[in-house]
Amino acid sequence: MIARWLLFLWIAAWTVIALLWAPLVPLLGATTRVLYFHIPSAWITVLALAWSMGHSLAYLRRRRIEHDDHAAAAAELGLVFCIAATITGSLWAKAMWGSYWNWDPRETSIFYLLLIYGAYLALRGSIDGEERRARLSAIYSAVAFVTVPFLMFIVPRLYFTLHPDPLINTHGKIEMDPRIRICFYAMLIGFTGLFAWMQSLRVRVTRLARRLEAAAAEPARRAV
Amino acid sequence: MSGGPAQIGIEGHALAHRFAPGRGLEPVSFAHEGPGCVAIVGPNGAGKSTLLRVVAGLLRPSAGAVTVTADGRAIAPPARRSIVGFASPELAFYDELTVEETLAFVAEARNLDDRAGHVRCALDRVGLASRAHDRVAALSSGMRQRLRLAFALLHRPPILLLDEPGSHLDDEGRALTAAIVAEQRRAGLVLLATNDERESALADSRIELRGGLGHPA
Amino acid sequence: MPTRESSSAAVWAILRKECRSEWRTRYGLNAALLFAVTTLAAVSFAIGQLGDRSDVLAALLWMVILFAALASLSHAFVREVEGHTLTMLRLIASPTSIALGKLLFNLLFLGLIEVVTVPLFLVLMAAPAPRWAPFLATLAVGSTALAVTSTLVGALIAQSRERGALFAGVSFPLLMPLLLAAVRATRAQWLGVSAAAELRLLAAYALALLAAGLLLYDHLWED
Repeated sequence: MIARWLLFLWIAAWTVIALLWAPLVPLLGATTRVLYFHIPSAWITVLALAWSMGHSLAYLRRRRIEHDDHAAAAAELGLVFCIAATITGSLWAKAMWGSYWNWDPRETSIFYLLLIYGAYLALRGSIDGEERRARLSAIYSAVAFVTVPFLMFIVPRLYFTLHPDPLINTHGKIEMDPRIRICFYAMLIGFTGLFAWMQSLRVRVTRLARRLEAAAAEPARRAV
Repeated sequence: MSGGPAQIGIEGHALAHRFAPGRGLEPVSFAHEGPGCVAIVGPNGAGKSTLLRVVAGLLRPSAGAVTVTADGRAIAPPARRSIVGFASPELAFYDELTVEETLAFVAEARNLDDRAGHVRCALDRVGLASRAHDRVAALSSGMRQRLRLAFALLHRPPILLLDEPGSHLDDEGRALTAAIVAEQRRAGLVLLATNDERESALADSRIELRGGLGHPA
Repeated sequence: MPTRESSSAAVWAILRKECRSEWRTRYGLNAALLFAVTTLAAVSFAIGQLGDRSDVLAALLWMVILFAALASLSHAFVREVEGHTLTMLRLIASPTSIALGKLLFNLLFLGLIEVVTVPLFLVLMAAPAPRWAPFLATLAVGSTALAVTSTLVGALIAQSRERGALFAGVSFPLLMPLLLAAVRATRAQWLGVSAAAELRLLAAYALALLAAGLLLYDHLWED
């Protein structure tokens, strides 16, 4: 209960601080601010994917439905953050380089993740039967997991990226001012907290729904 | 049945399966040893077919398990294919193949020696030898049922799982089924899921499934 | 009596049966060939000859192959499910054998489509003469990867409600890396540049998916 309010305050406070206190990156100008939302969204997209795939594999191993609950919830949330990352990224691209979409390697990668999420959820939506749905979507998740490294190999060789890369690229022309860095990490933490909270909510809802269904079926059964 | 395992047993431990909330097989336990015939009886929807599928290794149950032992060794579900003959109303074959081609395909996939011999033998036992070169699509429902029985018997398995074997069959067909059960039960095990009193009378013991409540044997 | 199972006997039996069934009915092959040729004709009609545009040529070639595959390779399992013959198959062969048998069939099928479509493509689009070794190698490895993926996804969606509609959407993310590499490799051989890196990647991709599939097929059918 308290944790939830703290989380909201944290994100709200750091948003304000980031917008008012942190300086702008010279190269990026006013668009600097997107990085507080765009990069954490992308980070959560990847985190959610890893979480979902991990639980899918665990489901195949142990066959406990809780793993499937986590896998499905993480995929739904991951999709939302992925859409957010894609849109914010696209707007940023338009402001910086004049084009909404370029098939720049990062853009391609995020689109690819969007497709995986979409396919996974579409597959789930079309399978009846809880156990079958869990099993088949876990298999798909496992296969997708295998293909992800291949995209990492292919994509960087496609085009030279225009993508600013302050975190990983050590000889990038952009280096983070310490004030920006603080706000950025704070937002990263905030987003992660947000994901964790939403994830736990979603899993709880799934479990409650299941118990409700089972309870509703009880009287019908006893009447036989 | 020569060369088959001397002792066959099946045991169900709190076996249950849930298709959807409120539908499925209620927890049931049972144990049967040695050659003989067991009837699985119960109203429609009680889970008779489900039980047979679990024994055959086709279905993984939501809870509990079925152990099948041959000569004291437990046979895991993936390995049950070769020792089990399964015939059920929803079993279908390829319409474009002939009866003989279908059984030859099965014999080839099962890696049987003397495939032609096995196929001929199975066709004779179910009385389909005269229709061997007809396409499956051209068979009546009674003939298809005989083909299912031939499919189950082809590899001469020690365990026969028959789900409503008399369906679509005329009197001659039912006599045939009874003969098959009689022959099988001498050295092997037959599990017969049925609503038909005449068929369940063939058995020497029963597993009763009361749809909705189940009955521990 | 208990028999000694042989996976290769089962795989071979299933492959032969698939070929025989396909030959008897010719549902799939006719439809697939028609589809591939129609796609090709539409492209050629709309774009005309592209002798000097190796980048577009490479992309179009693989799009035509991709479309043909998406339109036809799912049927391997969908027909089993719709005809209710999957239970019979599962009773006579292990899941891996069934999958391998179907995969080999899909490979043959795709190969047959390409034998017709690729030369037609080269002619209609007035493509420059390819360097045959890398060109055919890319086709072979790329198609293998395509077949491996399509067989697995086909097995998955055959058990869903939407089946055909879902196949393309669910396959595509898995096919993206493969498509990119194949197009680059095909383009490279027209440019006279080495495609070795892409070919290695394609081969690794096919192997990785095959290995994953072989592990996962055991879990595919449990009801």
